[in-house]
Amino acid sequence: MKQYNLAETFIILLLIGIMSMVSNTLSSSVGILEGIPGLLILVAIAMAGILMGKYMPGNIPAVAYVVTLGCILTYPGFPGSDIINLYMKKVGFVSLCTVILAYAGVSIGKDMDAFKHTGWRIIVLSCIIFVGTYLGSAVIAQFVLKAIGQI
Amino acid sequence: MKNFKLHGIIICLIIIAELIGVKAFSLGPGKVVLLPMLYALILGIFTTPTFLKITNQKDMEDAGSLIGLTLMLLMARYGTLVGPTLPKIISAGPALLLQEFGNLGTCFLGVAVAVFLGLKRETIGAAHSIAREPNVALIGERFGLDGPEGRGVMGVYISGTVFGTIFFGLMASVFAGLNIFHPYALAMASGVGSASMMTAAVGSLSVMYPQMADQLAAFGAASNMLSGLDGIYMSIWLALPLTEFLYRKFCILKYGHELTEKEEGK
Repeated sequence: MKQYNLAETFIILLLIGIMSMVSNTLSSSVGILEGIPGLLILVAIAMAGILMGKYMPGNIPAVAYVVTLGCILTYPGFPGSDIINLYMKKVGFVSLCTVILAYAGVSIGKDMDAFKHTGWRIIVLSCIIFVGTYLGSAVIAQFVLKAIGQI
Repeated sequence: MKNFKLHGIIICLIIIAELIGVKAFSLGPGKVVLLPMLYALILGIFTTPTFLKITNQKDMEDAGSLIGLTLMLLMARYGTLVGPTLPKIISAGPALLLQEFGNLGTCFLGVAVAVFLGLKRETIGAAHSIAREPNVALIGERFGLDGPEGRGVMGVYISGTVFGTIFFGLMASVFAGLNIFHPYALAMASGVGSASMMTAAVGSLSVMYPQMADQLAAFGAASNMLSGLDGIYMSIWLALPLTEFLYRKFCILKYGHELTEKEEGK
């Protein structure tokens, strides 16, 4: 994957964020400017996580740092969490997905042949994966609930 | 990054996708929901040289190189979704906590079927988890989304987005009909890290067991929050290594030896 320096990372994150605001404004009643503070906080969390992934020992993926930082900052009782939660409500999760999938669509174009090859197999596999996840959890929950006498 | 043409096209796609809006229609006992993100994806594919030729090879590569970063922004938002629910998660009971490991069940079943179907490295992305947003981000960071692993995880992610809700709604009814599992266990299993899938599954159960509806909804929601929190850590330290291990074993079973990079089409 192409590496971006910090300034580029910042600009790209901001750009994606602004696009998601456009998407959010069209799909909800939230004004485009209302989302800016939340957006800046998200960009800061993402940048901090990326830096930690790069420089912290243990080779832990940046994704884990980013999610963890987001959790801590919005944990009820953490200083400032009320304000952050308030700003976050103005940034749509699904709108971010819309932007990302638009880029993904353009990017997938170059793998169309590979996708045609795997297409139906992945759909069959998806069903198996849904069943596997559900069954696995149901079996364990059933045993534990029985063992502790809750059912 | 300075590819303004690409960003301009993306903005247009997003606006068109949002103007079409959410379309939901009933199908059997459930609902099929089409979200703007799906139209954005399909419209994006249509701009490429295979179809409308609006974007070129460089645009496609630029888009691919940006996705890893865009996912970080999504994950930041994801974390802030989970944070406020943490106190409730911490107070969850032992059954709720332990059933989270059931999400690993997908590796065993998934890898076996994937290798049997002839998938190669796609297996790693597709079968290590139920492929929700954090899993896509993780595979993107580790392997890149434009490789076989990325195609695998994106394939299952898109399948889940399109028909996951209806599938979980149906599956919950079928499992409940088997009468093997207590409805509580099934409600806990419904929380896989996707609010819409959980809601559909718990919805089916509530119709079948109306007298337990409140309890079922509470278990489903708590388990879903828990999956949202542990999903990423579970994938990094348990599911991905396990999937790699099983993939090698099943390849030996099917092909008689571990696959070389050449056989994997790298």
